Amino acid sequence: MPAVSQGFKTDLLGAIPSLRAFAVSLTQNADKADDLVQETLVKAWDKHESFQPGTNLKAWLFTILRNEFYSQMRKRGREVQDSDGIMTARLAVHPAQHGQLDLKDFRGALEQLPEDQREAIILIGASGFSYEEAAEICGCAVGTIKSRVSRARTRLQEILKISGEDEYGPDAISAQVTGTAAH
Amino acid sequence: MKDMTKDILAGAEGRRRNGVGDPLGANSEIGRKLKQYYDELVSDDVPDRFAQLLSQLEQAEPAQKKD
Repeated sequence: MPAVSQGFKTDLLGAIPSLRAFAVSLTQNADKADDLVQETLVKAWDKHESFQPGTNLKAWLFTILRNEFYSQMRKRGREVQDSDGIMTARLAVHPAQHGQLDLKDFRGALEQLPEDQREAIILIGASGFSYEEAAEICGCAVGTIKSRVSRARTRLQEILKISGEDEYGPDAISAQVTGTAAH
Repeated sequence: MKDMTKDILAGAEGRRRNGVGDPLGANSEIGRKLKQYYDELVSDDVPDRFAQLLSQLEQAEPAQKKD
């Protein structure tokens, strides 16, 4: 097995802040997040040969981290996250005044999203990945990422009671949610 | 005719997608908060354990030269 190059090691070090941010976003827990990053680094080191130089290392690492996260969840038996009942009970966030949305409230709202929506909105809205890259990281179709982002945004707006900021008018999905489809 | 209808539909689909495509733009409160949340996490100090881990991995590599 060829030695791991110095450049690869430097790049891994450079990616750690992003990996930690993504890990916290997924786990919602700083200790678990750092364990996850550690696992990711060890895995990345072991399989460094499968990384193709010149491709996006950050996306490659995010994929490893995400796979590790879901395989740990499966092993542990899924922690309760996305039951609608529980979420509704926790919706007690006071209304935000426009432009004065508290970061703490936002964090609380983000926590209430199901993982698939949370990771999608983080990858697209914060980590700077394209829809195509996010789809690759999550192993799903681009359209799936788009609809998850859209649902995540709608849900966050509901939880945080933000409205009227969509200059395009309600999109198809929020229209379905809020629409008064009288039958 | 069929093709034209398809084009029109595709165009509408494209526009709709563009509307949905940038739901987290700079003008969106959610988009701004999302970046603020994430940037705060990224700028968090990295504990030494990670640099140590990589050094350990490096030292644990099997010696390549066996001559």
